[in-house]
Amino acid sequence: MTDISYQDLAWPVREDITAAHRRTWERLGQPGTWLTGGERVAIAHEARAAMDCRLCRARKEALSPNAVQGSHDHGAHRAAQLSELEVEQIHRIRTDPGRLSRAWYEGLADGGMIEERYVETVGVIANVVAMDTFTHALGLDPWPLPEVRSGEPSRARPAAARRQMAWVPTLAPEDAIGTVDGELYAGRASAAHIYQAMSLVPDAVTGFFDLVVNQYLPPQAMRDFDNEYRAINHAQIELVAGRVSALNQCVY
Amino acid sequence: MVGDGAPSDGGIPNGARLIRFATAVLGDEPEELAAARDDIAAAMGGAALTDTAAVAALFNAIDRVADATGIPLEDVKAEATADFRAGIGIDDFAAASEKGHGA
Repeated sequence: MTDISYQDLAWPVREDITAAHRRTWERLGQPGTWLTGGERVAIAHEARAAMDCRLCRARKEALSPNAVQGSHDHGAHRAAQLSELEVEQIHRIRTDPGRLSRAWYEGLADGGMIEERYVETVGVIANVVAMDTFTHALGLDPWPLPEVRSGEPSRARPAAARRQMAWVPTLAPEDAIGTVDGELYAGRASAAHIYQAMSLVPDAVTGFFDLVVNQYLPPQAMRDFDNEYRAINHAQIELVAGRVSALNQCVY
Repeated sequence: MVGDGAPSDGGIPNGARLIRFATAVLGDEPEELAAARDDIAAAMGGAALTDTAAVAALFNAIDRVADATGIPLEDVKAEATADFRAGIGIDDFAAASEKGHGA
């Protein structure tokens, strides 16, 4: 079992961050909604391997990623349960997110991509990126991936999910009220689009937002400009966030 | 608090330092990252460094959630930010035409 601790680091890490990282790693190895624990850990491996992929590097340097064809490099870990289609998804999201397009997404769908697995995979990648970027930023090695836990995915799809604002189907807050998925929005009739983005797989939302509230800010703190909650202030937080998003060419 | 920083900080205290660190985190120059890290720790303290790292890391992830799912910007945010999004070049990003407001 991976023992996540930042106690030996030269600088203090908030205990809530450490606790969130431990919970994230524990969840990563467990069966999810549409993916087994083995598949989730394989996706995490592949997300890391993408950083050394020659095809991804060539595409990143090309004027258009579609101009470069080839096969992705993977490490020795590659699990048979990941299809080439899923490997393409993982590598592109990890290495060149700013140039993902609806046509690319629809191409995956035409090739047999399963949207629920796609969304859960996005969540796994996001968790790994959030933690790996944190350790990288502080000069640490990435944490060893967690052990795989046995069990079957629940395969529970929100009945009211539908295609509306995004490429992927989402569960609108107003449609969730009174359903078994209502607690995702705590009964509210609206939510930021980023919170709705992975709502086809509610556990992917709640898992990732465990990191959001601890590495960034809880919702009630975001617009509370009378108080500061971190060692850097609101303006400094948004400056860092904005710089990272600009480098990633993220429109949202 | 905006307005207390030097001009090179964009009006935000230690702004230039934070920009340098965020840029280095996403870059591929280990020496520059180490230098940017040490600079923040020395000038702002260790807790500021780790909180900055946490924010940079989180947004490196959240950008991927937004981009991989194709969510558009909320109408109210798009309208409120239209001027400066055009002014600083966000509307020129590759994905702007299909993931921006009204996509």
